[in-house]
Amino acid sequence: MKLVTLKPVVDIEKCKGCKTCVKVCPVLAMSMEEKLAVANLELCRGCGDCEQRCPEYAITMVVREEPVMAKVEMEGLDYQEIINLCRKARFHPEQVVCYCTATRADEVAAAIMRGAKTPDEISYMTGIRTGCKVECIQPILRILEAAGIEPKPSPGGWQWYGRTITAWEIPEEVKKKYANRGFYFDEDIDLLNRVINAPLQGKE
Amino acid sequence: MRPPILPISPRPSQYGIDPSLVKTRVCELPGMTSVTLRELFPDLPPVIFPSDEGISAVRRYTEQALSNIDMSKIKPEHKVNILSSHHGFTLLGGEPYAEMLRTIRDVIEEKTGCSNIRLRAGVGLRFRETEEYIRRYKLDEHFEGKARGVAPVDEGIPIETEIGTLYGIKRIYDADWIVHAHNSDVREVHFHRMVDRAVKPFGMSYARIETRSTYHQNLGPRAANFIARAIFDSPFVQDKFAFSCFLTVVPHGILGVDADSDLYSLNSRITEIGCRYYGKMMTLFGEIDKCVAALDFPCPVVYVFSAGVIYANFVGANTDLFDLEMPLPAYTWYTEAFYGRKGVPLLPEIPLLNPAVKMCVHNYAWTGYPSAFFSEHIPTVVVGQAQANLFNRDPQNLNYMQHAVISENAEAAMDFARKASGTDNVLIFDGAPGGINLSKPLADFLLEKAPAVNRRVEEELMPKWLRQRGVEVKTIA
Repeated sequence: MKLVTLKPVVDIEKCKGCKTCVKVCPVLAMSMEEKLAVANLELCRGCGDCEQRCPEYAITMVVREEPVMAKVEMEGLDYQEIINLCRKARFHPEQVVCYCTATRADEVAAAIMRGAKTPDEISYMTGIRTGCKVECIQPILRILEAAGIEPKPSPGGWQWYGRTITAWEIPEEVKKKYANRGFYFDEDIDLLNRVINAPLQGKE
Repeated sequence: MRPPILPISPRPSQYGIDPSLVKTRVCELPGMTSVTLRELFPDLPPVIFPSDEGISAVRRYTEQALSNIDMSKIKPEHKVNILSSHHGFTLLGGEPYAEMLRTIRDVIEEKTGCSNIRLRAGVGLRFRETEEYIRRYKLDEHFEGKARGVAPVDEGIPIETEIGTLYGIKRIYDADWIVHAHNSDVREVHFHRMVDRAVKPFGMSYARIETRSTYHQNLGPRAANFIARAIFDSPFVQDKFAFSCFLTVVPHGILGVDADSDLYSLNSRITEIGCRYYGKMMTLFGEIDKCVAALDFPCPVVYVFSAGVIYANFVGANTDLFDLEMPLPAYTWYTEAFYGRKGVPLLPEIPLLNPAVKMCVHNYAWTGYPSAFFSEHIPTVVVGQAQANLFNRDPQNLNYMQHAVISENAEAAMDFARKASGTDNVLIFDGAPGGINLSKPLADFLLEKAPAVNRRVEEELMPKWLRQRGVEVKTIA
């Protein structure tokens, strides 16, 4: 859940049409028109990635006249299905998977159950990955995979490249090789498993 | 009473308020004093900076450290990327790290005849931060127009590792050779747990979002930093790796400069230094039973520091962050993730934030790191409407001010915090070089506790910490 309070404004005098903003936008809200950057404000979730990476400093984030709430309602969904999906992806349903927006795993699962099929659609619906833009791509990809969805990266984009390894997939020979170097693989797996199966505190 | 130590000044940055709005530093308020770290721990080694020699000592020691490095594989026609990270620029005003980077460039050119030497400066979560430092320290001039900041959302490159494909930032690796130019300041012990500290940037400031998300979401709190080792050990990186050069940092200054073609040898040395000197400070801070924490430094909430200990580690000082038998620190992203909807941990054994931190006065700290967890769980007073407004505009901190209150000035904020918390112990996180700015009662408390902490770390904790990391116990001269 995120209250979107900002929007980008492009200075067309400075924009040189390099498309960096298009390549980094996590919700695919940036495009080019007549070789200049244009923001789709309906899609935009106010993360500022475009502003932070524009090499020409051509984009400014300004306060929206009317904030927009990005949130997936749980009402009407089978919460047991949400629980099952989260745990299949090895997350506790109430686990925070985005530290900036405090989005929990169950909201990502709910977005998928409401039809999201890609990371950008999930970000648009929940606001996840529109804070720091760095730390939460893997939970999104893992929950999508648990739902049987294999999204493809946006062609030519830098939004994301792929799912990576999890604790449960570390090869045994790697664990053995580094057992005396301070990596507690199996002990961490045990901790993560206990978290995943911990009781719920209460759904919204 | 010893007067307070002059703290690091506010800096102009898009991530912080205008320095002119920082009207009062907390250490200027009545009742504040200082202790030097040498008063607390008389056996701390001498440092090269700060010293009478000034910044030239950093150049001299860097040249000396690099004199033993074989650079023969770097040819005049090659391209070299000197890899750096934002954090070095926050140490002792930033100039020591900047001078080490300049010197590395000059020595490489002098020894090899190669002049196509570029500076690549990685970041945490503030994508323009190193661009600001490059301008501030005129590094673009020194690198002849070849200095640039890179961010984890920039174009990536796949790296095949023994645990599968991970992703680096393409511009980090777009050279024949890479030089890893870093520092040994422990900083995020809650994340790396002092395991492969020297290697961490390969999984963080040099890495793409997929890799960093793996670190913080996929592996677990004590296995996370393996990501860095996997990338560094990959054939792709090993084929490009030339050598490492580190500022060796201790809580009271720069101990020296260390360079090595074997990063793991260097890692063992800085692991011992980090555990010993930062371990003492963190253990001492863990003795504090009640205090008001005052944040007053030009970097994000978690990274403001006192005696080399960052606020994120002080809020976990009720646990031994160096003890790998302890799965979760009281603060790390895994811990934060494991708080359920009622705002309490999902498992009873997950430690709560340090109960000694009764209140936090946020006099001056930056945005650019998700910090709402702190204001949600520690009563927080933010000084000035401008600072509150800045946090309300930060996509990473839209919830921070939902849990904090605003005070008009530092005096009123501290007065309120002391009355509300019922303690006169004040610990100021303002990066005071060589010491700690704090209130008199807390100074007396720390001076009383330090000798026993010193003995305990040397005799009990150090052997355990190093054994857990497979590092041979030695004594660093």
